[in-house]
Amino acid sequence: MTETRGSNEALLEVKDLRTHFATADGLVKAVDGVSLRIRPGKTLGVVGESGCGKSITALSIMRLIERPGRVVSGSISFDGQDLIALPEDEMRDVRGNQISMIFQEPMTSLNPVYTCGDQIAEAVSRHSNVSKRAAMDRAVDMLSQVGIPDPKRRATEHPHQLSGGMRQRVMIAMALSTNPELLIADEPTTALDVTIQAQILELMKALREKNGMAIMLITHDLGVVAEMSDDVSVMYAGKIVEASDAITVFDKAHHPYTRGLLASIPRMGVKRERLEVIEGVVPNPLNLPKGCLFKRRCPYAMPICDNPPPLREVTPGHVSRCWLAPDGGKPELGEAPSAAEAEAAAKTLTVANP
Amino acid sequence: MTDIRTPNTLTTPPPPGAAGIAEADTLVRVDNLVKYFDIRGGLLGVSTIGAVKAVDGVSFSVKRGEALGLVGESGCGKTTLGKVILRLLPATSGRVEMDGQVLFDIPAKGEKPQRQSVYAGKEAMKKVRQNMQVVFQDPYASLNPRMSVGELVGEGPLVHGMTDKKEREALVRDMLSRVDLNQTHIHRYPHEFSGGQRQRIGIARALALHPDFIVCDEPVSALDVSIQSQVLNLLNDLQAEMGLTYLFIAHNLAVVEHISDRVGVMYLGKLVELADVDDIYARPSHPYTVALLSAVPEPDPHRRKKRIILKGDIPSPANPPSGCRFHTRCWLREQLGRPERCTTEEPQLRSLGHGQETACHFSEEISATAVENAVASSAPIPTAAV
Amino acid sequence: MASSETTRPGAVSPLGNADTDEIDLVAVQTYWQLVRRRFFRNKTAVIGLVLLSILIFSAIFFPWIGGDAWHMTNLSKGPNDPISITAPLGYDNLGINIFFRLMKALQTSLIIGFSAVLIIAVVGTTFGSISGYAGGWVDNLMMRIVDVVLSLPGFFLILMLVAFIGSVVAPMFVIIIAIGITGWTTAARLVRAEFLRLRESDFVQAAKALGASDSRIIIRHMVPSAMAPVLVAATLGIADAVSTEAALSFLGYGIRPPDASLGNMLTGAQDYFYRHPLWILYPGITLILVVLAASFLGDGLRDALDPRQKLEA
Repeated sequence: MTETRGSNEALLEVKDLRTHFATADGLVKAVDGVSLRIRPGKTLGVVGESGCGKSITALSIMRLIERPGRVVSGSISFDGQDLIALPEDEMRDVRGNQISMIFQEPMTSLNPVYTCGDQIAEAVSRHSNVSKRAAMDRAVDMLSQVGIPDPKRRATEHPHQLSGGMRQRVMIAMALSTNPELLIADEPTTALDVTIQAQILELMKALREKNGMAIMLITHDLGVVAEMSDDVSVMYAGKIVEASDAITVFDKAHHPYTRGLLASIPRMGVKRERLEVIEGVVPNPLNLPKGCLFKRRCPYAMPICDNPPPLREVTPGHVSRCWLAPDGGKPELGEAPSAAEAEAAAKTLTVANP
Repeated sequence: MTDIRTPNTLTTPPPPGAAGIAEADTLVRVDNLVKYFDIRGGLLGVSTIGAVKAVDGVSFSVKRGEALGLVGESGCGKTTLGKVILRLLPATSGRVEMDGQVLFDIPAKGEKPQRQSVYAGKEAMKKVRQNMQVVFQDPYASLNPRMSVGELVGEGPLVHGMTDKKEREALVRDMLSRVDLNQTHIHRYPHEFSGGQRQRIGIARALALHPDFIVCDEPVSALDVSIQSQVLNLLNDLQAEMGLTYLFIAHNLAVVEHISDRVGVMYLGKLVELADVDDIYARPSHPYTVALLSAVPEPDPHRRKKRIILKGDIPSPANPPSGCRFHTRCWLREQLGRPERCTTEEPQLRSLGHGQETACHFSEEISATAVENAVASSAPIPTAAV
Repeated sequence: MASSETTRPGAVSPLGNADTDEIDLVAVQTYWQLVRRRFFRNKTAVIGLVLLSILIFSAIFFPWIGGDAWHMTNLSKGPNDPISITAPLGYDNLGINIFFRLMKALQTSLIIGFSAVLIIAVVGTTFGSISGYAGGWVDNLMMRIVDVVLSLPGFFLILMLVAFIGSVVAPMFVIIIAIGITGWTTAARLVRAEFLRLRESDFVQAAKALGASDSRIIIRHMVPSAMAPVLVAATLGIADAVSTEAALSFLGYGIRPPDASLGNMLTGAQDYFYRHPLWILYPGITLILVVLAASFLGDGLRDALDPRQKLEA
């Protein structure tokens, strides 16, 4: 299924993506300079809280952003193709075929008027020249692959006749029916119960093994990220603040936001008197602070943070958008350099290819 | 002249978790609580064609000063249970007693000997309500958008006789400072605040009447991860400072573990396990609890544990399985060769000693090997219900 | 105890996600102020408001200064007289000043429209709130009553009432009552739906948990929230009532000459269509303006009152 390709060559490469929304209240920079890379067959977990821009990033990659939103700059390269420059009809060949997407709420993502079988068959016939019968056969086959018993009967049922977990399986079946190379999953298990979530995650892992598919997994749940991801990118207020492989991000987190998040979540089996806290709230997108967007909540904030921090390399393959030195100590430049010094330093420190 | 409860009238609670509080008085007693929602159908929608058995015979008690956590998935009835205890929803049958005052005592259908339902009267109810409050899940829907913060937090005292505006304002300011909100916000409106702040307003509102008992219905589920810890710390602090008793309803097991002294696990309207928090998490005694704990993904990439994957979906509470409700998905039953007893006899909550109660016929068969086998036999592509 | 948030400088922010510090720099914003802001951002809504205000003002002012001009026949004047400042639309075949007659007609139509809507709002709200709050068999019974009223052919009922009683009681009065008693059903359903929804909403449950009495909950918590759709329905209902009255009068069953109404001015203008085509346009366009203004205003209110706009990323 997947073409032979150097495992370090990216399947999807996003460089400096910016998606802005011109709302009545002002310009919202939902995604502001996001770069990420997904290797074939690997899973990238994109972590962040509400408003960080992770969903918009996914929609931008799929070119599903509508007015008043607009991808203003950046490049998205998939399998060598530049997705931003692609004409719409060619993009439609990519969407649902080479890149598939599943969403959080299966009830609103599946059409309530059509049967499940029809919806999957539609995806199949849209992207390949097969007969109606063959498309339906493939639909039934997909339903059984995702573990739905009695798939022939289920294919004739409508979404509302199925439970939440089943509907999510149908979504996965639909997404995988065209054998995509990349699956974008936007909070696929957030709306599901814990035991159902476990089923779906195991299912995704098994299918990933079988098809050699890459996954971009968007979530706010650090447990899910740890479970599923090879690489992790952490987003905050429209920017990537930290990125590396999963073990490094969890064990050796550098950015104060990541560290704060990891310290503040209650963990099973660890009973503490008080949880660590990240003070403050996510900044209002219409009123972003100057310089580092996290400074108002950061326990290490210093004057240098009034200058936008560079996305710097902490160790090879591990980047962090912070002024702190790679070992977590004070910035090399000191705590309060001049704006010019800071700007110059930022240029040199910024990683060219994050 | 008001009869608002003031901090002076509170008794100091015993420290939670202290040994030898077997004598600790019970604050809330729930006996055999049942809540069915009728499903209407037929001509003109008048006949009842079925019932959603949201809560189907739950009994437990909450000790003064403790935090009792209640966990479960969709359809387990935990939220309904909270509302029925507070008499925000009418119960179908059962008895709830709050600090000695009977809130209601409705005989079960077909109960012998026949007796009348007993309800606390309007006056008595109003008085009791000062003592039991609630914090809701949705910070956006739980505050009336047309009322200012001062009006919202002050409504409780106002309704209970504190008509003096100055007195109320002083009380509101005190509450706002306790929840770490700026006192100048007293004149502002809910839409001007973030989710976490609104939740604090909701907590302040619940505290304004100085209740002993607060039902927290998923108070942090709708909040961002980085805000959850702020609110959880606040709830913990307030419990210690004001001697509160919590019924903490949530679906996030880690959150519940953090705040609770004891935990109850619910499944399809029934309480299947009830134990001290340490026991539940370290030595779960019901196969559902075991599976639940196994299913939670841990934020640690080194420990990608193998899990017990339950088969199938959660059955509908309108049509629960016979006998033990969990038997259709139970891994232990599979291990034991599908004993008949699970389908014919509904297990009652029984004590295993040291405060741990379980509603399973075969809890003693749960061993490390059994769990390992269950994990191993969890299909790589899990199938849905048979 | 967690540390309190220190004040830091920040810019003004109108949205709900503000930092504590930021909130302190903005003036207190009540719910209605928020609604007003949203309303005035909507161009069509503002046009509707302005237009309706102009129409209302005209309907009050011009008949007042015109005195008897609206029905004073003057055989020395006629359609061939040139237009002047005091008669910007000229005179009709009876020598009546068309402009002042039009303004009087507008006044009549607006009075009927607003009054009928008032009845609809009051009756509908009362009915709907009792039905929605009570629930159970009371609700069921009341809704069946609504069904019965709805199945009556409204227009013909009004026609009949006017025909039978209109000779004894002033037709305007009859029309207002008739439109009112046939039109309250929509408002009742809207209010009932809101009450059903609100009954389960968290903030109403919270009020109940605090110990608030039923009447306090209804009056203080539910009615204000339920009024929004009624307000929208009422505003749009004005357009409907005015059109209904115009149709009635056009057919000859509503306001009859010498009384003026937009409808009967249309009837009168019919006969003179070929020689004086503008005579149809005057009442016609005025009618259209009233309906448009009320519709824009109603739509604008609906958008302003609906707090669903949230930007997700």
